[in-house]
Amino acid sequence: MSPYFFYIFAAILIFASLCVVMARNPLYNVLSLVVAIFSLSCLFVLLEAYFVGMILLLVYAGAVLVFFLFVVMCLNLNTIALTSAQQGHFRWLGGMVGLMFALTFALATKSFIKAQTMDPSSIRGTIETIGKILFTDYLLPFELTSFLLLIAIFGIVSLAQGALSTGKDVENS
Amino acid sequence: MITLGNYLALSGIIFSIGLIGVMTSRNVLKVLLSLELLLAASNLSFVAFSKFNGDYDGQLIVFFVILVAAAEVAIGLAIVVLMYRRLSTIQADELRTMKW
Repeated sequence: MSPYFFYIFAAILIFASLCVVMARNPLYNVLSLVVAIFSLSCLFVLLEAYFVGMILLLVYAGAVLVFFLFVVMCLNLNTIALTSAQQGHFRWLGGMVGLMFALTFALATKSFIKAQTMDPSSIRGTIETIGKILFTDYLLPFELTSFLLLIAIFGIVSLAQGALSTGKDVENS
Repeated sequence: MITLGNYLALSGIIFSIGLIGVMTSRNVLKVLLSLELLLAASNLSFVAFSKFNGDYDGQLIVFFVILVAAAEVAIGLAIVVLMYRRLSTIQADELRTMKW
């Protein structure tokens, strides 16, 4: 049963991430990333990492991608502005670097023989087990992330304030 | 039978697609979206290693990666909106000056 699900979700994930990179319309980019994240969280559930899969759905598909959609709609970009004329001469170079990486990764995975024979363990990443570790061994990093989020909020507020004041300047002048 | 190698191969494919996206696109929004793909690929390999090694640490690292990615996206999108207001474009090539 499980192998078929793996291949189905892997195919959806690859197709959706190709759409993220290839699609012309920015809305399609964002929406196909939603599909990719959804199938990724399905793969997490297949790996019995329920908590992380759920968090991925809530935080990514729920919050981050809605934020992306909001910005795309807010900027009111037309497709022409996005795929504008100078689709650079270094484009093929970037593609080459990506393909080289893929090749290297394929060779590395192939030579990692142990990966082919390892058996899956019986651990289940439920909320209970993850929460216990999170609030004992990982308590300090967990608390420190709150500072990180606080700093992010400060950064956004200061950026937005700068934008507001300069916007006024532009209007006045 | 799905082995660790299958998950690693899938993660590598997704990472390569994201890397090509970051390298080739001029559009800042698209670069941010491709960065999300890179993070997603590494998350997948973390969870797969966690499952096959019988250790929860990988899943906790994924949890922290998601947290940091949320902060990163918020800041990045704020900068994109600012850039669009100043330059009225979101092509990365247009960012030529260090000081606005």
